[in-house]
Amino acid sequence: MTDSTEPSGARIRFHNVSKRYGDVAALADFDLEIGAGEFLTLLGPSGSGKTTALNILAGFTEASGGDVRIDGQSILSLPPEKRNVGMVFQSFALFPHMSVFENVAFPLKLRKTPKPVMRDKVAEALDMVRLGDYAGRRPSELSGGQQQRVALARAVVFQPAVLLMDESLSALDLKLREAMRLEIRHLHSRLGSTIVFVTHDQGEALTLSDRIAVMRDGRIAQIDTPDRVYDQPTTRFVAEFIGQTNLFDVTPADGGGVHVADLGVAIPAEGMNGAKAISLRPEKIRALANGSDAPDAGMVVFDGMVDEPLFLGETVQYSVNLPSGRTMQFRENRGEGRAPLRRNDRVRLAFRPHDAVPIVRD
Amino acid sequence: MKHFKGKALVLAAALAAAPLTLTAGHASADDVTITVAGSGGGLAKVMKMLFEDPFTKETGIGVKALATTDRASALKAMMAAGKPTWDVSELSATEYAIASANGWLEPINWSKLDPKNTLPAVARADDAVVVASYSTILAVRTDKLPAGKRMTSWADFWDVKTFPGPRALQNQPYDNLEFALIADGVAPADVYTVLSTKDGVDRAFRKLDEIKPHIVSWWTAGAQPVQMLSDGEAFYTSAWNGRITKLATEGTPAAIVWNGGGLKLSYSAIIKGTKHGDAAHAYLSYLTTSPQRAAAFAKMVPYPGFVKGLYDELPAEMGRHLPSHPDNAAKQFATDAKFWAANLSELKERWEAWLLE
Amino acid sequence: MPAADRHSILAAPGLLLLVTFFVVPVGIVFDQGLFDPAFTTAHFERFLARGAYMAVFLNTLRVSVVVAMACLLIGYPVAYFIVRQPPRRRPVLMFLVLVPLWMSILVRTYAWMVVLGREGIVNGLLMTLGITDQPVKLLFTTGAVYVGMVQILLPIMIVTCYSAMTEIDQNLLRAARILGARSGQAFARVFLPLSLEGAVTGTLIVFILSMGFFITPALIGGRRDMMMANLISSQVSQTNWGFAAALAIILLLATVAVLVAARLLTRRLVYAAAKTDTP
Repeated sequence: MTDSTEPSGARIRFHNVSKRYGDVAALADFDLEIGAGEFLTLLGPSGSGKTTALNILAGFTEASGGDVRIDGQSILSLPPEKRNVGMVFQSFALFPHMSVFENVAFPLKLRKTPKPVMRDKVAEALDMVRLGDYAGRRPSELSGGQQQRVALARAVVFQPAVLLMDESLSALDLKLREAMRLEIRHLHSRLGSTIVFVTHDQGEALTLSDRIAVMRDGRIAQIDTPDRVYDQPTTRFVAEFIGQTNLFDVTPADGGGVHVADLGVAIPAEGMNGAKAISLRPEKIRALANGSDAPDAGMVVFDGMVDEPLFLGETVQYSVNLPSGRTMQFRENRGEGRAPLRRNDRVRLAFRPHDAVPIVRD
Repeated sequence: MKHFKGKALVLAAALAAAPLTLTAGHASADDVTITVAGSGGGLAKVMKMLFEDPFTKETGIGVKALATTDRASALKAMMAAGKPTWDVSELSATEYAIASANGWLEPINWSKLDPKNTLPAVARADDAVVVASYSTILAVRTDKLPAGKRMTSWADFWDVKTFPGPRALQNQPYDNLEFALIADGVAPADVYTVLSTKDGVDRAFRKLDEIKPHIVSWWTAGAQPVQMLSDGEAFYTSAWNGRITKLATEGTPAAIVWNGGGLKLSYSAIIKGTKHGDAAHAYLSYLTTSPQRAAAFAKMVPYPGFVKGLYDELPAEMGRHLPSHPDNAAKQFATDAKFWAANLSELKERWEAWLLE
Repeated sequence: MPAADRHSILAAPGLLLLVTFFVVPVGIVFDQGLFDPAFTTAHFERFLARGAYMAVFLNTLRVSVVVAMACLLIGYPVAYFIVRQPPRRRPVLMFLVLVPLWMSILVRTYAWMVVLGREGIVNGLLMTLGITDQPVKLLFTTGAVYVGMVQILLPIMIVTCYSAMTEIDQNLLRAARILGARSGQAFARVFLPLSLEGAVTGTLIVFILSMGFFITPALIGGRRDMMMANLISSQVSQTNWGFAAALAIILLLATVAVLVAARLLTRRLVYAAAKTDTP
């Protein structure tokens, strides 16, 4: 399936796509370009429009406006079966009255694939998901993870240029979910098809994707690579939705920087133009040894009192009360050569100015 | 505390004694309750008001009325179980014939039931008393008659040339075989003589063959012919007299042809094995031997009994519409319940086969 | 107490009900039909000897098959239509389907008399439109029996089909579509086989109920539209219990035979419909 004659993934372009249900806009001015062979994740809470976008791409939902193109060709007037798109559903949607073999053979049979070719392709697809020995079983006789893999095999057996995955891992338990992430990654590099993955799980999005489009209220709040979405959120929503963070309102300070009222500190000017707030990841904050100064002269230093230590295994997360009354979080590795902090310990904290990410929009 | 205890004891004793007292009351010889199997519905209300309640008031004998259907089957089951739970039962003519033939009824002591001889012979059987009568008559939608014509007999009913239009009959061999013979010229009084021969039955079925294509519906419930007449579904049909009188008073132009009607008797009888024979006799006497009570009943339900003096107690106009009125009774034949009890099974089989032909 | 004993105690009330209200009555019917008082086949011989009884039996079978098939052909698409409606509209439509069930069969049958009668709605319309100048005979015909029975039994068919269809994950149809099936193919290969059991169950329920139908054929049928139940009732009221029981046994056995045959056939059908790799 990986030889040179394989079609590689297709380019997908959403152009100003909108979908309204009465007065409610499920999708508004949705613009998105997905490269050939790219693994793109639509990430967002429920109701953010990610599933609507996917259903419009699949042909299950009609767009109210705009256009969707695959490899330059508009597909909105095509029925789902003409779009050459594979899909893995959250519920797997395996046909319960068919065997595993019949499920995987289903798309080939509809394409009138000759019998011997069909048998080979089904066998190959099942081998790829390591279910070669299960061809004769019924879906109900398989575990959740096995059903998931059959659904994958069925979605890719006809070599679609685009593979859609709708919350495809959320029906599995945690361990299986993590194992499947690797398997999907592997599959993606092997198949080369464009994958559009919908999830509300930021962990899945971060590990799997080439790019993540974070969605909110029918629009893309931010689209970027996983590390940039994590490190450089541009909106409060993205900063809070992905990972954990501390958000502080800021006001412009004399001399060009910003003033953080909650911390009682100022941050120098660099990159802070127009910032309404800053995002400060818990792992970017360090606790200083008792009474000592910052190890680095440029660091911003402030004081607080430990409220609640939270043991996370490798790391400990502390909840800290600030003099302003607010609470914030910081995290450090265990065994930093210092006795662990306890409740009501006074603590001096510091961060590098460039670790404070300016938030320019809500 | 002691005081309270004493009161509680008295109370407990009273409570414990209460059911005993009641049971004792029931067990006393004078305080009998008889169980009467009736038809339920509106008729049961009339029976309770006119007969059961006043009877209990007068005699102290209680009457427990049951709403029942298919009493022949019920009696068969009771007799098979050896434990009749009814003391008295209303019986249709057919039910009476079956029950009588099987010996499920107590003989009537007529000197006890009717000491003043108010009931004519027609109302007296060895093991039952006639309490009511009704007729299966020819009912006519008078507005559907051809101009200037009147339908007056079963021969007219069979005459589809003079009287075109849809007809209906009951889905039963009884009445219809008699009607067919009468239409064929047999005198009402001779109907059962003719029917008791194979030739007579054949003759009746041959006559029915003539009318069969013109019968749109073979009705099974008494409400159907009424409905069909009022909807114009049938212009001429056999029907039960009381329902047609009611239909006419409600404004449908419907009339009864008494000529050739089949007068049927409804019986009440005492069930074999009852422990309350005297009370049952007293109840049946109360039920059947007073012209005043019979008239009150006939005013509410057009199915009168036979007690002497009944028509003196009724307005003439009302009496005219009742099946046992001397004028009407004279034109009808009395359905022979014993003939039908003996032959129904066989004739019904033939009837069903004939219908399907 | 061992677990097995506890379980059998829990099953006891159900078993008691079953024995009291099913096994015992059916046993009594068999006893009545076969012993009088010694073992006899006389009642069954009587049934076979008379062509008329066989005709009633065959008529009962024919009416039941026609009504069951008609209910299937009308009820299945109706249920399918309702299942495809937006979720908010479905309970409303199902409610409308179920409303007639709250009316007695007698009332509904009388309503058909009003509709189909000589001076009824249909004839009135036909005559007003000048299609006919004489009333057409619609009432008291076999056709009227079919129409009346189908109308009475249709809700049961629709409910049975509907509940089977709502069990089907709608994503299965979407999956079939995106895997390459046209909407007709998705229906034929996925929806139909998965709803077949429900459709067969509904058809069998309607068939069984039809076999015992009584009021409607008597009220709006013609003289030939006699059913076994009419025959049984007439024999019971004549106190011919032995023969009535024999008729009931014949009806019961015929119904069970059809039931078993249909079940066997369905299993094959579902299996065949699921097979996508057979030549």
